Amino acid sequence: MRRTRTITLVTGTAGALVLGAGAPALAAPGDDVATDATDPATVTVLHAIPDVPVDVYANGEELIADFAPGTLTDPLELPAGEYDLEIFPVDADPATAEPTAELADVALTPGLDATVTAFLAEDGSPALVPFVNDVSVVPAGQARLVVRHVAAAPAVDVRADGTPLVEDLANPDEEMLLVDPGVVSADVVLAGEDTGVVDPVDLELAEGVVTTVYAYGDEESGYQLATQTSTNTASAPSSVPTGTAGLVDDDGLPLPLVAVSLVGLVAAAAAGRRLVTTRA
Amino acid sequence: MARLRGAHVVLVLGLVGGLGAPAAWAVGRPADAAGPAVAEVLAAAPPGAPAPRAPADWVPEVTLRSAMAPPVPEVPAPARLVVPSIGVDAPVDPVGVSGTGAMRIPADVDRVGWYEHGPAPGDGAGSVVLAGHVDSRTQGLGAMAALRTAEVGAEVRVLDEAGTVSRWRVVARETLHKQQLPTAELFTRSGPRRLVLLTCGGPFDEELRSYRDNVVVLAEPVP
Repeated sequence: MRRTRTITLVTGTAGALVLGAGAPALAAPGDDVATDATDPATVTVLHAIPDVPVDVYANGEELIADFAPGTLTDPLELPAGEYDLEIFPVDADPATAEPTAELADVALTPGLDATVTAFLAEDGSPALVPFVNDVSVVPAGQARLVVRHVAAAPAVDVRADGTPLVEDLANPDEEMLLVDPGVVSADVVLAGEDTGVVDPVDLELAEGVVTTVYAYGDEESGYQLATQTSTNTASAPSSVPTGTAGLVDDDGLPLPLVAVSLVGLVAAAAAGRRLVTTRA
Repeated sequence: MARLRGAHVVLVLGLVGGLGAPAAWAVGRPADAAGPAVAEVLAAAPPGAPAPRAPADWVPEVTLRSAMAPPVPEVPAPARLVVPSIGVDAPVDPVGVSGTGAMRIPADVDRVGWYEHGPAPGDGAGSVVLAGHVDSRTQGLGAMAALRTAEVGAEVRVLDEAGTVSRWRVVARETLHKQQLPTAELFTRSGPRRLVLLTCGGPFDEELRSYRDNVVVLAEPVP
């Protein structure tokens, strides 16, 4: 039942990326749901450095072993607090080895939803950055698309069915938009050019779902798209308007019946009066 | 004497008509509800109720998945709705939402809309929502006009576009104020499989050309 549709841009919001310089305190955007200080943070980890499997450490403990490029974790619930995150080449000893990339003192606040992404900066150096995810509900009938540039490449345009959706997006920026749901053919080209970076792939932008697309890779290993989707972000239609005529109006006795009733009562009253006066 | 007998007859007939007509109407009108309250049925298994959270272990178990875009699952759309006991037999069209966020309803009152963003009859969880007009100013009574007379236990059949028939049984009917319609629960995509039939009902507001209420019928799958 899902059809391919032309995508239309509903709104465009420049996404806010919080970079891991110093001690980043991350706050969930549009935080309209009350969060408890004891609520955990939800963290997804994405490996978007081509070719190199890694081990991921959080506060010195191994969190993920032998993490393959192009994979991501299911959302993890981590107690809110500060974390030191590091990635190492597989089987390296974290006590002695130099991390491939690290991110110190990341403050995961209660209720936060973030994707910690290992990727290559534009110059090809490995980086580890937490992107904050907007997992507020998506308006009924629409899909939320987030595009993140995490490839060792200059600014790009991301296109759907050949039409630019996101233009001039630089590493490590993101852009968020609401779009009509459907399946689109998505590709990535150098900003303002037709030079392909990622070849077209079919991408489902499901209604009520946040689809986050990461352009990653480098020239040597090639460029690809990684995709992350949300759950529990759908919303229901606001109402179900199904009648305009009032033919089954349930507001009381229908008028013809009122007339029948009145005629009957008047006739009965007249007859009764006659009976009474005749007797008298 | 004959004239008096005539008066007796008029008196009796007048009383029968005068009191009988509204009484018959009151008896004959469909009850506002049948079966348990809709909210009660919906609450029996709250949608997406989180399982009690295990104490947060700070090194959680990690499960991995590919970041490649997953293939799009295809589930056949419903094509026809039949409720034999109340004479409903209507073709079904997939519909989404209007610009104002309301569920779109097929303009043809003889057709019923299926909320295409929610579950289909073949999906394993959540509510399949079918809604149709009770009436229209230009087309008269709609396919769902009789929904307000559906009784608990009534059989419902949904034929999908692949030719598969799913069978359901009505468990509750209730007329609910549109402002109090539990849309999130009715349109849920998780929880037990359920069929939700919707139309309009209750008092009609001539000025707004709109009914005050929605008639809600819940049906559960027949194993």
